[in-house]
Amino acid sequence: MFFLNLSLAEFTALFSVLGGVVVALYLLDRSRKKIKVATLRFWVPADKPPEAKQRRKIQQPLSLLLQMLGLLLLLAALGQLRWGSPEHSLRDHVLLLDTSAWMKAKDGRRTLLDSTKADAITYLRSLPSTDRVMVVSADALATPATVFESNRNVLEEAVKSAKAGSSALQLTQAIDFAKQMQRLHGRGEGEIVYTGAGRMADKDDNLNLPKNFRLLSIRKGGENVGLRKVSLRRSAVDGEIWEVFVTAHNFGIKPRVILIALAYGHAPVASGRLELAPGADQSGRYEFRTKAAGELEIRLIVDDAIAADNRAIFELPAQRLLDVAVYSDEPELLRPFLGVHPWITPKFFPTRAYSADTKAAIVILDRFKPAAAPKGQAIYIEPPSGSSPAGTASPITAAMRLSWHNEHPVGEGLRTGDVRLERGEYFPGAVGSTVIAEADGKPVIVALTEPSRAVVLGFHPAKSQLRYELAAPLLFANILNWLAPEVARQREWNGESIGMVRVAVDSNLKPENIQVLNEGGVALPFTLVGNKLQFFAGAEGMVRVITGGREQVYSLTLPEVAEKQWEPPKTVRRGLPGRFSGGASSFDLWQWLAMAGGLCLLFDWLWFGRIRLHASTAGQQSIGSWFMGQVSSWRKAG
Amino acid sequence: MAEALIDRQFLERLERLTIHWQKSFPGLVGGHNASRFSGSGQEFLDHRSFHPGDDLRAVNWRAYMRLERLILKMFQVEPRVPVRFLLDTSASMATGDPDKFDYARKLAAALCYVGLVRLETILVQPFADTLHDPIAVGGGRHRFQPVAEYLSKLEAGGKTDFLKVSRQFLAEYPQRGLLILISDFLDDRDAEKPLQYLADFGHEVFLIHLWSDQDRRPPWTGELEVEDAETGKIVKMNFDDESREAYTTAFDSYAAAVRQMALRKGGKYVGVPTSTPVEEAIFGPMMLARGIY
Repeated sequence: MFFLNLSLAEFTALFSVLGGVVVALYLLDRSRKKIKVATLRFWVPADKPPEAKQRRKIQQPLSLLLQMLGLLLLLAALGQLRWGSPEHSLRDHVLLLDTSAWMKAKDGRRTLLDSTKADAITYLRSLPSTDRVMVVSADALATPATVFESNRNVLEEAVKSAKAGSSALQLTQAIDFAKQMQRLHGRGEGEIVYTGAGRMADKDDNLNLPKNFRLLSIRKGGENVGLRKVSLRRSAVDGEIWEVFVTAHNFGIKPRVILIALAYGHAPVASGRLELAPGADQSGRYEFRTKAAGELEIRLIVDDAIAADNRAIFELPAQRLLDVAVYSDEPELLRPFLGVHPWITPKFFPTRAYSADTKAAIVILDRFKPAAAPKGQAIYIEPPSGSSPAGTASPITAAMRLSWHNEHPVGEGLRTGDVRLERGEYFPGAVGSTVIAEADGKPVIVALTEPSRAVVLGFHPAKSQLRYELAAPLLFANILNWLAPEVARQREWNGESIGMVRVAVDSNLKPENIQVLNEGGVALPFTLVGNKLQFFAGAEGMVRVITGGREQVYSLTLPEVAEKQWEPPKTVRRGLPGRFSGGASSFDLWQWLAMAGGLCLLFDWLWFGRIRLHASTAGQQSIGSWFMGQVSSWRKAG
Repeated sequence: MAEALIDRQFLERLERLTIHWQKSFPGLVGGHNASRFSGSGQEFLDHRSFHPGDDLRAVNWRAYMRLERLILKMFQVEPRVPVRFLLDTSASMATGDPDKFDYARKLAAALCYVGLVRLETILVQPFADTLHDPIAVGGGRHRFQPVAEYLSKLEAGGKTDFLKVSRQFLAEYPQRGLLILISDFLDDRDAEKPLQYLADFGHEVFLIHLWSDQDRRPPWTGELEVEDAETGKIVKMNFDDESREAYTTAFDSYAAAVRQMALRKGGKYVGVPTSTPVEEAIFGPMMLARGIY
């Protein structure tokens, strides 16, 4: 038994002072009353002579006893007297409420989170009123829902308003966070209490649990199968074909056979069947053909614990094609370079059919002088003298060794051995970064940006030694990528769970050439280690990773369901803390003490207080005597 | 100031009332009883020369016809029966709850208003161990304001000495009339004899006896230290229920003796506890005693 607000010495001193005051007031109240009257002629003293010394005696010891007792009880209530051990008072607990994706799993008619909330509220109500609790929502991140709070209504409201997230539980981080909170803001020694499913992303079972850890409950849930990853991309062979790669995982302990259904614009486009061993992944590849934009839904047809990971939806754009008009009298020479790109639709015309008003995005002018320069982007191949946009052209008279400027996007990655140009022309007026290739130091391929992007080749790739080199198709690919980057960019859609996302990129890629953007176009922080790009997404949404000519779109909507079920050590404390167990807790007495003190004062007032005087003065029966009379009559009746 | 003592609605109710007395006083008019003495009511006194501003109706025209000078007739106007209030302002009146003194002032104000409405001549004479400065008014309800202000300014204090006050009163006011005495009649010496003197002198006495509930039945018990409000004398005693009964009996006996004296001398007596509202006291016990109706 101890006082929260007062030490025993303080309590004794305070009680002595107040008790002395009460006794003094008591004696004063029962001392001789001084009154002023109109006349003394009618005053007749009582037969019994006054005894002056009586006022120093206690005439009504029961009244004084009741007053002193009432005062003692009220003082004890004021000091918040508690029953139990003082070591366990004033504690600050951290309640780790599991809000990971697994908490969406069904537990009968309710979800695991609903059951866990009920456990948490039961725990909060079992604590002494002086204990403070911090409610922390624990998933991949530990997020405090309250500060250390003693108001149970606030705490219960925080527990009730908790929602299951989409990430897996990182229990080690959550416990570290709880320890840090207790160290920085806590008082006394409180507990770190966990309640949830115990499905965690931590790799190690040994969580290094602190001594004050308590496991309130573990609710495991049932069998579950879910989508792990979904990837979509246009086929490299046929631009109208979508290739879909689906990976599912069996989180349960039984083998499962599941059906996968793909619907595009609510129309079934593909289906499949996967056999999943317990704890294993299984992938499937599916194709469907479309040029139109639409919504692709991938669904696992299975009845399991979590429904959220059985379905993924992607909004896919329409196929964008690049129109290229080729004006050439020898189209067969260029056809191999342009036909390898599924996103290009080349149209070949004779040079005499040239018109500057063509609607094609890119115009290729093969060795002829146009009547008027094209209005859009263009590729000039060995333009005749006087028609080159790169300035004066001089003919190549002797074999010259070809070399490349790789710093320009058009020349990126191009290498040739001992390729020599025997015919063609070079552009002595071109200087600086616009030069893509040189022949013995003389510019032979030049990139222009004004008035619109254009590339001028001083030789025909198919009519030189370059036609035997891999650099020839790559040169055209680079040129087309540079002229129409949005269309040429390779896109890939991925469906993954939120949290840490790892993307494989080229090892020689520089961070300044990488963009990681969220839906609003805001850049997200990322790390680049070797050929692994990592970024973290804490909420559902879409993230675009742009690396040069490649764009990967991550739709982070799948819940991150942890695979590992935590098996807590047997030594850990479990369940609700006992009310009296080993002095582990203490409980309040002040309500009862205050009530008892009030009753003492009430009885004193009824029996000995002014009401008796007033009642007797008015010639009526006092409440106290009425009550005592009733009691005695009941006794007689009994 | 009048509103401080009596509110307007109460004053309107008072206008229907009249102060009554039974005696006939020689040479005086007024009241509402037939006088046993005959007379015209106006008696010739003397002649004097006319002065500008005199009432032409009083000119003796016969004498003018003979003497050719204006001579004015003078008459002796018979005075009305005086209504006098003797208001106790001793320190004992300031005791009790509600305050007797305040109650007495309100009661005196109400009765003054009744008299003024009936065109009586009113005199308010406060007293304690001696007579204090009085106020005399008459001539209608519009003279009530000075009386009300006068009563409001009165303060209680001093010992009661009825014998001395009676002697002074009889010497001061030889003209007999109605004497309304508002007091608690608490005097260390006997108050009955002085009151008897006043009645024997020819005044018709109307005794209004005020007391508070504590005056009649003290609520206290136990060891008391009782102080006389007028003399300051202190008596320590043990007071119990039996003593209280004895006290009340003695008080009632004294009140009965005062009443008996008043009735025996042809006067009236009304005993009013201050717990009774003033309005209720006027329209209740005072009307029953036929002092006012």
